[in-house]
Amino acid sequence: MRFSDEMLMAYADGELDLVARAEIEAAMATDPELARVVERHRALRARLQAAYGGVLDEPVPAQLSSLAVAPVTAPVVDLASRRVAPSPAAQRRWVLPQWSAMAAALALGAFIGVLLLRGPAAPYEESESGLVARGDLARALTGQLASDPGAGTVRIGMSFRDRSGSYCRTFRLQHEAPLAGLACRAGEDWRLQVLAAATPEGGEVRGAAAMPMVVLQAVDIAIDGEPLDASGETAARDAGWRAVPESAGEK
Amino acid sequence: MNRPSPFDDVRGQLGTLLPRLRRFARVITRNVEDADDLVQVAVEKALMRADQWRPESRLDSWMFGIMKNAWIDEIRARRRRSKVHAPEEAGLNVGDRSAEDRDNSLSVQAAMERLPEEQRLAVALVLIEGLSYKEAAETLGIPIGTLTSRLARAREALQAMLDDAREAPR
Repeated sequence: MRFSDEMLMAYADGELDLVARAEIEAAMATDPELARVVERHRALRARLQAAYGGVLDEPVPAQLSSLAVAPVTAPVVDLASRRVAPSPAAQRRWVLPQWSAMAAALALGAFIGVLLLRGPAAPYEESESGLVARGDLARALTGQLASDPGAGTVRIGMSFRDRSGSYCRTFRLQHEAPLAGLACRAGEDWRLQVLAAATPEGGEVRGAAAMPMVVLQAVDIAIDGEPLDASGETAARDAGWRAVPESAGEK
Repeated sequence: MNRPSPFDDVRGQLGTLLPRLRRFARVITRNVEDADDLVQVAVEKALMRADQWRPESRLDSWMFGIMKNAWIDEIRARRRRSKVHAPEEAGLNVGDRSAEDRDNSLSVQAAMERLPEEQRLAVALVLIEGLSYKEAAETLGIPIGTLTSRLARAREALQAMLDDAREAPR
């Protein structure tokens, strides 16, 4: 009797029932070719296991093991502790559009490290609708293009429209402890959606890569379609960042 | 009832699963940093929806399913972002083991790299993580016949690539 290769594979993987197993074993006893095929399947499995087995012996990074044993409250970072010991997660370039907890955190506003910059010269202030940009930050959000290096402390990342048609922009604040965030236009204000510690901008890390994960996630949750290109950004600025209702054409 | 909350239950078991989650992540992301990011994200997600896990089912397959979905979301987001963003650097796992192990590791990883995503997932779950065909099919949300044929095709391709590598002149 001939056995299909899938059946021999299933045999090698221990997936067959007793009867089928016995049939194959009987055939293997008289057909060395069959035995060879099964052996090849087993050897491949062993090779794959050996190739990745080393990962099991590696020490688990503390940032992972602490998650599994220490209380976890929210997936936000704490600026103070990050400054002491930057964790690999600080450089995480991940985005997760469907991260529901992030969405929940955004509904409340995810502000990390806000307290550190409170004071007379703070680039934002509390308003009835939450934190809004002030000073240099507000001016840059309104007037500065992503392509401008910016004379001041603010760099603009990307601009896009959110699902309600409002414009939003990511930014970086070059401070001693750099911050990055996302702000969306609300009337004449820029309301801060997320503010987080950023890694200092060094060498090759630029643009979107220099944004903290929480900001990128916030963008992915909020964005409608693609980010604005340079001409779209200029046009939106020149039009005063007025919200464009869904599917409205050019004015 | 005095059993631990689902959250504590999941969290407690995750500790011992972490090495395997890292291995699975390494196989599907092919990149050391991405792999640990994926584990972290998956663990956070799992803890947030710990109440969805049924204690009678296997926590490892549940976690693998979460990781697979998170990885696919990540690939899509990255594709969307690729206009703004430089592509990720490739990274190979080269442990500090013997030269022979390292050679095997490198050629296996190079071969895995060339498999289509869906076949790599099947290989990772069955051949590396040791799930049964049924468990792997459920984790991936596909019929068992589909799983079997993906696995068979993956095996054939891997075998061919690895044989080639071995026969190539040194």
